[in-house]
Amino acid sequence: MVLDLLASGLVYSSIIVLGSIGLSLVYSIANFANFAHGDTMTVGAYAALVTFGAVGSLGGTVLGLPYGFFVALVVGIGMAALVAVVTEKVVYEAMDVGSIGLLITSIGIAFVYRAVIQMGFGADFTRYDISALRPIDALLPYGIRVTLHDVAIVASATVLVVGLHVLLQYTDLGRKMRAMADNPDLARVSGIRTDRVKLATWVIGAGLAGAGGVFLGLFSRLAPRMGFDLLLIIFAAVILGGIGSVYGAMLGGVLIGMVTQLTPILSELGTILPLVPDSWGIPIGIEYANAIAFVIMVAVLLVRPSGIAGEAV
Amino acid sequence: MSTNHTTDDAPTDETSETDSRTAASTDPTGDHVLELDSVDSGYGDVQVLDDCSLHLDAGEIVCLIGPNGAGKSTVLKTIFGMLTPWEGTVHYHGDDIGGMAPEDIVREGIGYVPQTDNVFGSLSIEENLRMGGVAREDGLEAVIDTLYERFPLLDEKRNANARTLSGGQRQVLAFARALVMEPDVLLIDEPSAGLAPNTAAEVFGHVEAVNDMDTAVLMVEQNAKKGLGISDRGYVLDQGTVRFDGAADSLLDSDEVSKLYLGGG
Repeated sequence: MVLDLLASGLVYSSIIVLGSIGLSLVYSIANFANFAHGDTMTVGAYAALVTFGAVGSLGGTVLGLPYGFFVALVVGIGMAALVAVVTEKVVYEAMDVGSIGLLITSIGIAFVYRAVIQMGFGADFTRYDISALRPIDALLPYGIRVTLHDVAIVASATVLVVGLHVLLQYTDLGRKMRAMADNPDLARVSGIRTDRVKLATWVIGAGLAGAGGVFLGLFSRLAPRMGFDLLLIIFAAVILGGIGSVYGAMLGGVLIGMVTQLTPILSELGTILPLVPDSWGIPIGIEYANAIAFVIMVAVLLVRPSGIAGEAV
Repeated sequence: MSTNHTTDDAPTDETSETDSRTAASTDPTGDHVLELDSVDSGYGDVQVLDDCSLHLDAGEIVCLIGPNGAGKSTVLKTIFGMLTPWEGTVHYHGDDIGGMAPEDIVREGIGYVPQTDNVFGSLSIEENLRMGGVAREDGLEAVIDTLYERFPLLDEKRNANARTLSGGQRQVLAFARALVMEPDVLLIDEPSAGLAPNTAAEVFGHVEAVNDMDTAVLMVEQNAKKGLGISDRGYVLDQGTVRFDGAADSLLDSDEVSKLYLGGG
């Protein structure tokens, strides 16, 4: 059971990480907490839904997913990035308000995204037209019930995260992004075109969120509230990792994703731990998973107020 | 770019090297590299500079001194486009650069070393230098190699994060970052701020080294005696305007300047 929970924790973490990286990136460079980030994930998911409906199952499959799904994934990423960039250009950039003003504005933007999706697709949940898979047989003896789709989610998220790492560390754009997150004034003084870097950051951050949304739809299902419901957990991950730090967001995402999925262990401690009665356990069910995640976050912040990877103040 | 020459800025041959070391302060018609003419400037509604005029010639080190709040740093920020002049003009090689953005002014050949937060702490030294050269079209590797030769301590630590450097070392990196563009003019805001006397002396030595690389330096310095000590000329700013100017030696010798601004005479 522990292995199974760890496996599903890994899948869930992948999605949280994709969301939290973008939130942290945008925070570090555009300098506000974007509450529309969760709904940006939803935009990605629904864009993929529409695309997949159009291109369908074209050709063969990889990891139990039709090629068409990967086309839909790319479109979902692109649409999330496009919507975020247009919002930045038309709304955020045009507003001369501080970071709190932008934060409140982004809550309104979140409602707009969700309302538009709800008008188009209704309030009910829906799924991609991909038949559910049986768990992988080879892993069943270990009690691990994961499907090829889960493997696809983790593999794709890993590729995206590694790609981001390479971009940040080894490309000119990545160095500029880190420089700007570090010290925006000095970045301008050095001659960096900060407006372009900011735009690139929106594209990357929202694109990753879009990917997270597409995978969230595959992991569970699509609903207009799917991204917003995940937003608080993503914030917990970002703050736990140290807000503004991309690598902190990755770490925080994995930790928070794992903790939420591992919550059922608490009520079954007796069967897992040796030397205690099988009936023994802490009666906290999965419905408290998010609360547990926040308790962990608070506990870490008490020890490290700026988060795991945050800079000491 | 308009070349709106003011009365003080007659068009002369750009290439003629004026004898700036000795005669600049008394040379009203020289082709100044940088010239502020009757500039008013400030933050928001708060005016700081009031009819401020000064200039910098090729090859000079010029030091701005004056009490706190006199507008010394504001002069640099106005030149570098972080503030727009309300009135008056800022000319660089005869072109009006007043109101241009910092990222464009860098490309014109002016560098700026802020007083604080003047390195990217989470980036390596090598990356700091690369960031200093983002506006370069070519020759980045060569100029970085040259800077490593000039400042060996940066060479030794090229992969270390800038935040691991000491205060004096950071100042060297801040200079080097600005020098990657090989600017004609370097604006330096309080190079000795927060440094121990020994370290400050080293940093002043580096300012002179920068100047030896054919870069004119306009420097703000709280430590007026030390600042003027390495400078060709100086301006004494008070309440946003120039009260005294002249050769650095003559300012240091002036009883009035000493009494009012150098802490007794």
